[in-house]
Amino acid sequence: MEFDQALQTFIMESRELLEAMEESLLGLESSPDDPDSPDNRDAIGAIFRSAHTIKGSGGLFGLDGIVAFTHVVENVLDRVRGGEVPVDGDLVALLLSCRDHIGMLVEQIAVDAAAQPDKETEATGIMLLNQLKAYQAGAKGTAPAVTGARVQSQAPVITTLPSGGTVESDNWHISLRFSHDVLRNGMDPLAFIRYLDNMGKIVHVVTLPDAMPLVPDMDPESCYLGFEIDFHGDNVGKATIEGVFEFVRDDCTLRILPPHSRIEEYIQLINELSEDKIRLGDLLVNSGSLTRKELDEALCLQALSAESCREKSPTQDICQLGEILVKQGMVQPELVDAALGKQKVAKENKVQESKLIRIQADKLDQLINLVGEMVIAGAATSLLAQRTRDPALHEATSTLSRLVEEIRDSALQLRMVQIGETFSRFNRVVRDVSKEIGKEIGLSIGGAETELDKSVVEKIGDPLMHLVRNSMDHGIEKAEIRRQRGKPAKGTVHLNAYHESGSIVVEVGDDGGGLNRDRILAKALEKGLVTANQTLSDQDVYGLIFEAGFSTAEAVTNLSGRGVGMDVVRRNIEALRGTVEIDSREGAGATVRIRLPLTLAIIDGFLLGVGSASYVVPLDMVMECIELDDAERQETRESNYINLRGTVLPFIRLRDQFRELGKAGRRENIVVVQYAGQKAGLVVDELMGEFQTVIKPLGKLFGNLKGVSGSTILGSGEVALILDVPALIQRAVSKEAQLLAYGL
Amino acid sequence: MTISIEASNGVCHARVAGEMTIYHAAEMKGELLPCIDCGAEVEIDLSEVSEMDTAGFQLLLLAKREAAKAGKSLRLVAHSPATLEVLDLFNMASYFGDPVMMPRAVH
Amino acid sequence: MAKTVMIVDDSASLRQVVGIALRSAGYDVIEGCDGKDALSKLTGQKVHLVISDVNMPNMDGITFVKNLKQIPAYKFTPVIMLTTESQEGKKQEGQSAGAKAWVVKPFQPAQMLAAVSKLVMP
Repeated sequence: MEFDQALQTFIMESRELLEAMEESLLGLESSPDDPDSPDNRDAIGAIFRSAHTIKGSGGLFGLDGIVAFTHVVENVLDRVRGGEVPVDGDLVALLLSCRDHIGMLVEQIAVDAAAQPDKETEATGIMLLNQLKAYQAGAKGTAPAVTGARVQSQAPVITTLPSGGTVESDNWHISLRFSHDVLRNGMDPLAFIRYLDNMGKIVHVVTLPDAMPLVPDMDPESCYLGFEIDFHGDNVGKATIEGVFEFVRDDCTLRILPPHSRIEEYIQLINELSEDKIRLGDLLVNSGSLTRKELDEALCLQALSAESCREKSPTQDICQLGEILVKQGMVQPELVDAALGKQKVAKENKVQESKLIRIQADKLDQLINLVGEMVIAGAATSLLAQRTRDPALHEATSTLSRLVEEIRDSALQLRMVQIGETFSRFNRVVRDVSKEIGKEIGLSIGGAETELDKSVVEKIGDPLMHLVRNSMDHGIEKAEIRRQRGKPAKGTVHLNAYHESGSIVVEVGDDGGGLNRDRILAKALEKGLVTANQTLSDQDVYGLIFEAGFSTAEAVTNLSGRGVGMDVVRRNIEALRGTVEIDSREGAGATVRIRLPLTLAIIDGFLLGVGSASYVVPLDMVMECIELDDAERQETRESNYINLRGTVLPFIRLRDQFRELGKAGRRENIVVVQYAGQKAGLVVDELMGEFQTVIKPLGKLFGNLKGVSGSTILGSGEVALILDVPALIQRAVSKEAQLLAYGL
Repeated sequence: MTISIEASNGVCHARVAGEMTIYHAAEMKGELLPCIDCGAEVEIDLSEVSEMDTAGFQLLLLAKREAAKAGKSLRLVAHSPATLEVLDLFNMASYFGDPVMMPRAVH
Repeated sequence: MAKTVMIVDDSASLRQVVGIALRSAGYDVIEGCDGKDALSKLTGQKVHLVISDVNMPNMDGITFVKNLKQIPAYKFTPVIMLTTESQEGKKQEGQSAGAKAWVVKPFQPAQMLAAVSKLVMP
């Protein structure tokens, strides 16, 4: 059971890591020119770590398939990180495929922990492994060849690294002092220095004979020499160098200082280390800048100094490990500083981490439901309190409802997520599709920090995908045409999000050719979607492409192959109580604008009464309320619009709309609502004020009901309908337009 | 290992043959150092040295130092490949200041 | 001049594999199947390095190394002891007997070659 839970954690962790990996790979691809830029090095580091972690954890679960495959990927990444393999488009593409393959393996494990990969996956894996071979360390061309002949020059050799800079100082510095006994033990310093020279290149040696005593004291079997060696080695780490002197480790004092270029690398490694080990020594050892032996030695010294300190004065601070390491020349001060910095960050992150809790989405949903019920129950309580006319009770319930409101807001806030993550997933889509269709297209993202309900985010992915593909397939022109039109050859798809009067607006735009009004109209006529004598605004015409069964000849190519049409997009959006519209300018591009409610669960509503029934409109959409006096009532009896401060305001009588029987109220009010830049009035009897509305979806049966988007329960237990304001506005506006068209 | 010593015109010629290794270090120390006293100049012929280790090399260093102390010059001549390799590796050819010649014979 | 390495182990196959690896790297190799056999084959010829197992019949590795170090011709000859992870104590014992280098069993031929060439280049 615990194992299963841990496995779930592994799967989720892997998904996150793979996502991060993808992001970094795409980042790498977009700026491959400078493989040494800090950004790219970060990206490579991140990619490597993702693979490394998946492999490491996969091993714990005995997921041998994942481990074996990831191991090879990690290998290649390690070489990329070491600068042995250059980053190019092919490699990134291959690594992306590898990422996808690992993802596939993980998902199969997610379905069934004991699952073996199916034939197809297996074949993909083998194919990828074959491709990876080209990048693996098999081609030993870079390893230093062992040759007997050596060319000796007195001047230090200046080696040029691929990065182009001369790096005279890019050498390890090895400082050696042998003990007297080393020769008697059969160990010859010459042999080790020879071996070192075979491992890389000894650039310069200084032999120090100064320790040799006077003739009578000089034992010819003792060693009195010391050496200062500048050493250059590709792919050589501190531990490897220490390994050369393994057998004389107890017979010599050995100090190894990395080249300057390495210091940077070590600092980076220190920063990249996982944060579970945050002791200074561990950090340095794990980065490779300090060897385990050196650390032991330093700790020993620290213990000694602590002891002597205690003897001398108990108040004196004992020596810090970092100080000892630097004083002993084991590591450079820069590295100690970096490690100390990392230690601090790691500690802070630990604190941060403990502030985050992972919870299951359904628990959150349950909480929201309960809060919804509480809102309703609270409303009922307030109503009862009002009836008792007991001021104390009244006050208590109003405090209660304020608190309930706050709980509601906080609960909903829990579900809010930034849309950025959804957006950034399209980096990959745009990249892949642009390759597939042979157009150069970039993605720009705006408003990534805009928050919306998690359930909305989940459902918006598919429509967005469709719109983005559509923009790429049909919106953006081929490079030649773009050039002719004086536009940059590279097209851009733009994703944007922002809040607007209680809704969130998500835009998918492109700088392509825009929609062709005439062609759409012709097609719509042909399909019988419109009649020839209809006057249609541009908006209306563009809106036609969302009609079922509509597609222009050009649009057939790809979308029909995918079996999805724009009508599906609209249906999906409408299912979220949202709307979709298109802006287009011929030759300059088109923008599809999706408007969605901020949340799907609870809204601030405005309660209206018509006859005996109650209705709710979202408060955000209410602009103002106007009372109609008798004269105006007479005046508006026959028309469907009024003059509102000089502008025409179309309106709808809800009494007529919902065939409310019974006598009209003594008074009538117009509630002015606004949506997507259009205004309309709703004529009602009674204004009942703000009301926290828990949205209950209407059953399937009412799916086709126009003008109603849901229902809610009032404090009294009665049901009120939530009005579909966008639909009602549309209706009022078009009715008015028709009347105008008939010259009325 | 054998060392043959010959003095002529105030120059002491020492010729080392065989292994200059720790096995013979004590012996070598006893024979090489007196050379410094037997002439105004010392020349050590290394052409017959088949092998040299750190102990052997150290003795050359010692001899050089002692000669300098005594105000005499000490030269290493006719380095064999084995000795040349050691001097190279320790980067000490310039310390001895001798023109390093290519070996006469290939071993 | 090729350097000579002696390998002392009671496993013929091990001697064989090590022998192949060292010979192909350019060393001369002589073999001994235990301490006693090895000593009998060391007759004053130049040997630059000895590799010896610990557990062997007739004469074990520790005794062998102690004896070896008594022979003037091999007093300073470096010795690599073959130990296993569990024989940390044996490693200490070997070191005080004079075997200052070690290789842990099981090892790859390449590992052995690396250890040997740290001490003696071919």
